Amino acid sequence: MKLNEIRDEALCKLKAMHAKSERDLAALKTYLFGKTGVLTELMKSLKDLPPEEKPQAGKAINDLRVELIAKCDEKEKELHRLAIEEKLISESIDLSIDRPDHAIGSRHPLNQIRKRLTDYFIGNGYIVYDSPEIETDYYNFQALNVPPDHPARDMQDTFFINDNILLRTQTSSGQIRLMEKFKPPIKMICPGRVFRNDDDSTHSPVFHQMEGLVVDKNVTLCDLKGTLEGFAKFIFGEQTTIRFRPSYFPFTEPSVEVDVSCFNCHGSGCRVCKNTGWIEILGAGMVNRKVLENCGIDPNEYQGFAFGMGLDRITMIQCAINDIKMLWENDVRFLHMFK
Amino acid sequence: MKLPLSWLREYVDIGDITPQELSDKLLSIGFEVEEIIMPRNDVKGVVVGKVQQIVHHDNSDKLWICQIDIGAGEPVQIVTGAQNVKQGDLVPVATVGAVLPSGMKLAAAKLRGVDSYGMLCSGAELAVGDDIVDGASVDGILILPTDSVVGDDILHSFGLDDAVLDVSITANRPDCQAIVNIAREISVLLNKKFKMPKLTYKCYGQDNAIPPVEIIEKNLCSRYIGRVIRDVKIERSPKWMRDRLRMCGIRPINNLVDITNYVLLEIGQPLHAFDRKFICDRVLIRKGKSGEKMTALDGKEYCVDDALVIADNEKPLAIAGIMGGEFTSIFPDTKDVFLEAARFERSNIRRTSRKIGLRSDSSARYEKGVDWQSVELGSNRALALIDMLKCGKICENRVCDGVSEPTQKVIETSKQEICSLLGIDIDQKVIISILKKQDISVSTVGKKMICKIPLVREDIDGYADLAEDIMRFYGYDNIISTYSENTHQTKGGLSIHDDNVENLKETMRSLGADEILNYSFISPDAADKLLLRNDDALRQCIALKNPLSRDISVMRTQLVSSMLAVMSRNCARKNNTLRFYELGKVFIAKSLPLTELPQERDVLCVAICNDGDFYTLKSIVSEVASLFGNFEYCEASASYLHPKQSLRIEGQGLCGEFGKIHPLVCENFDLPSDVYVAHIDVTDALNAPIRLAQYTPISKLQPVDRDLALVVKKDVAVGLMLGELKEVNPYISQVKLFDIYDGEQIEQGYKSVAFSMRLQPTEATFSDNDIKNIVNSVIETAQNKYGAKLR
Repeated sequence: MKLNEIRDEALCKLKAMHAKSERDLAALKTYLFGKTGVLTELMKSLKDLPPEEKPQAGKAINDLRVELIAKCDEKEKELHRLAIEEKLISESIDLSIDRPDHAIGSRHPLNQIRKRLTDYFIGNGYIVYDSPEIETDYYNFQALNVPPDHPARDMQDTFFINDNILLRTQTSSGQIRLMEKFKPPIKMICPGRVFRNDDDSTHSPVFHQMEGLVVDKNVTLCDLKGTLEGFAKFIFGEQTTIRFRPSYFPFTEPSVEVDVSCFNCHGSGCRVCKNTGWIEILGAGMVNRKVLENCGIDPNEYQGFAFGMGLDRITMIQCAINDIKMLWENDVRFLHMFK
Repeated sequence: MKLPLSWLREYVDIGDITPQELSDKLLSIGFEVEEIIMPRNDVKGVVVGKVQQIVHHDNSDKLWICQIDIGAGEPVQIVTGAQNVKQGDLVPVATVGAVLPSGMKLAAAKLRGVDSYGMLCSGAELAVGDDIVDGASVDGILILPTDSVVGDDILHSFGLDDAVLDVSITANRPDCQAIVNIAREISVLLNKKFKMPKLTYKCYGQDNAIPPVEIIEKNLCSRYIGRVIRDVKIERSPKWMRDRLRMCGIRPINNLVDITNYVLLEIGQPLHAFDRKFICDRVLIRKGKSGEKMTALDGKEYCVDDALVIADNEKPLAIAGIMGGEFTSIFPDTKDVFLEAARFERSNIRRTSRKIGLRSDSSARYEKGVDWQSVELGSNRALALIDMLKCGKICENRVCDGVSEPTQKVIETSKQEICSLLGIDIDQKVIISILKKQDISVSTVGKKMICKIPLVREDIDGYADLAEDIMRFYGYDNIISTYSENTHQTKGGLSIHDDNVENLKETMRSLGADEILNYSFISPDAADKLLLRNDDALRQCIALKNPLSRDISVMRTQLVSSMLAVMSRNCARKNNTLRFYELGKVFIAKSLPLTELPQERDVLCVAICNDGDFYTLKSIVSEVASLFGNFEYCEASASYLHPKQSLRIEGQGLCGEFGKIHPLVCENFDLPSDVYVAHIDVTDALNAPIRLAQYTPISKLQPVDRDLALVVKKDVAVGLMLGELKEVNPYISQVKLFDIYDGEQIEQGYKSVAFSMRLQPTEATFSDNDIKNIVNSVIETAQNKYGAKLR
């Protein structure tokens, strides 16, 4: 058989091959290159040729062999690819089905807010301080300038354990404990649980506050405003403004209530702000000199400001929760909204 | 405090400012208006009428034809079906065109042929009750009090045409619990003149037998003034006074009692009126004697042995500042009155009032603090009203005792001091003028300002208080925002504890658990529901003295009971698949009753319901424990857990128990049986820094895997066995269980344990012999220690 006939035949066979022609390819390779394959036989028959024709004939056979091996290899790869493609098609699955094998859990929304707020203050150089929930009368009241039988005690319904030990009604107790341990400059926040003997549709006997305290030389009421304004913008958005109005807390003087402009209506009045344009979110003031003195800090050298906010309230505002009881229901449908 | 605007207008000209505008202004000086009670506007065209004539309707048994004088010349004819009206009665008349609260609009009508030009109204039709006017609730037409004025608009007649502000007064301003002092603040606020109420009166001779007053406890009562009024006429007080009292939430009683209440509201000075004839010889202000008892005006007997009392030679007459005695007060036949005005120390009133469990308007006022001057002011104002209402003859002389007038506080400060606190610059002239408006006199010596504080402002103690009073009127809007430029840089951050908490919560979250929150107090019954043994330390709960209810009356020592209650509540709502955790504090008392602060320990409680089995929980627990270091398991003892499906875990700074909930506990909490819970004290773990893990080199040599199947007795703890087998040779890097089988081919009472071991060479590749040796030593150990046979 002539070489070009072999070539034509092989190429023709290769061309006819399709996805399932793996065997045909193997057979073709045996036919061409096997022990008794046509090219092998041709090679063997070289010896019968006159010596001067041998090199040329040998080269021609070998060239064809190299070419066809390459063609077969190429075909083999192609066939493999085709086979896999066919397999992929057969492996189609129903993608519309869900099988939630690995669900992450949710953080309670209140603690998500708490983390946001603490992160903000940490970024501004505040330490996070933890203080006992069961407290003595001294730390919860007296050191904060609320002597026994003072009318200011009526501001907070207290749970008592005995005459001297109670459940803290405010995280402000953390101010005293901190100032007894650390001297100025102080920047701290103290988030935590507080307790009041109060249970109705807008109050829960357990709730969460975050106290803030800054004591240093040259701290002013304007610094307090700047601090709280920065905080309000962080929480409620850049366009937020705050306003101070006079109030009374025994442990600050002057004392202020702090309102933020309503994030919902920006001041024009809506349901969220009860048509006032403002939302009351925290109480604050300049640390009362007596409080500094009680903690062994010289009020002639140092001034400070303190603020306290209700985390439950901020959480409710931020997450549009309209019923405080939801925070304590632990209904899984509620919890999963905050994944 | 209720502030009727008509009352306020007597002392300051507020012009035509609306109640809302006034509220907004009050807010800017620190008085929050909690509610604006607007005048009623749902009644129009109803006036007071007098029944001139009343006759039967010719065509009806039940109808009456009335001729009513409404003060407009001709009487109007009205047909009524009411049966309680008679000639001469004063009645509310809805004239033609009137609007009633129901929305009804009156029109002229013909009733069985007779024209009717209006309607007589009942209390219900006008939406008023007995609290507004006596007899409003009777079935029939409302018969008005005889002093009603014919033709008067009915809302005016009821005193419902005035706006009332409910102002919240902060505890530092007891002086503003008085209408005159609020009026003074408003006069500064609106820049209007303030006018004092009338304090003068006419006297009628001396009372030579007036009982002398002696204060024994001058530290508890610093001033006492007694006056005598003779020949009093006890009767109803005038309508304007009754209306005002009612607007402020006080029920009118009689002229004298009403005057004392009126002065309490107006001047802020509590007064008490005794019937003079019951005072024997003299008035003593002393402590109660041991075992002494007194019946107060509320008809109850109180033990007054530690309380301050007003007494005569024989008996206590009143519990000082709280309530008078039942048998010494004003009666309809009282002739002579002894009128007390006093200043009692506030904390003592508060203490006594709480101790004996009795509060009154008077004690509420005293608790906040009454100043020295208002005693005399209150006394004089009451006498002026007595004179004005002609209640009796005031005697000229008075009895009094007390400490001498306190000196005014003097505060030395400077503009610089005040401004350095505020952070803004305010002109000294402005400062002085604002202070002066508040009756604080200021003199200057060089840069110093010397401020004299009026006695009524007991709250002002230093320059910070003055700064506040300046800002109230200077305006807090003038405070600008600055960013602590003049303070030190500080280093902030989380404590180790809080950092670890974050870590732990992130771990819990990635383990698919939802965070829950529960109250810190629980029911004392929780211990029984958890089957806690009598000597279980978890029973040592700290009890609250004044809990809201039994369900939340003791501080929790464990988080399990609340957790189970939450799961139960969710299950009841068909939230069946749950994986929850709470990281919270428990309160552990050293001894009870509490003498020192308890330990507050951090506990992690994890629970799953229809969301895996014991091994699911065990893997969660081990992930948590390994956050903090190594750990081991041992036998559990918690009584609320299944005795055969529970374990104790002890790790680095943590320990706890976990397992399936005991079926009886499930019943107690109404839970399905498939609940598993872990309760782990992590206090010490959270307080120790979590060290970053250290790298150990990974061998580049290929590991070898070998599978083994061993037959052991059924009671062999496979986990422990495999753990031990792993320790047989240091080259065993991993032992992995893949099957436990006790089917047909295995002898009864035995099980086959199939596992794979990974052998990890570190220095050189293992030879066949090496591998054989390691495997053999494993088999040998299993044989010796666990009686295992190679399957």
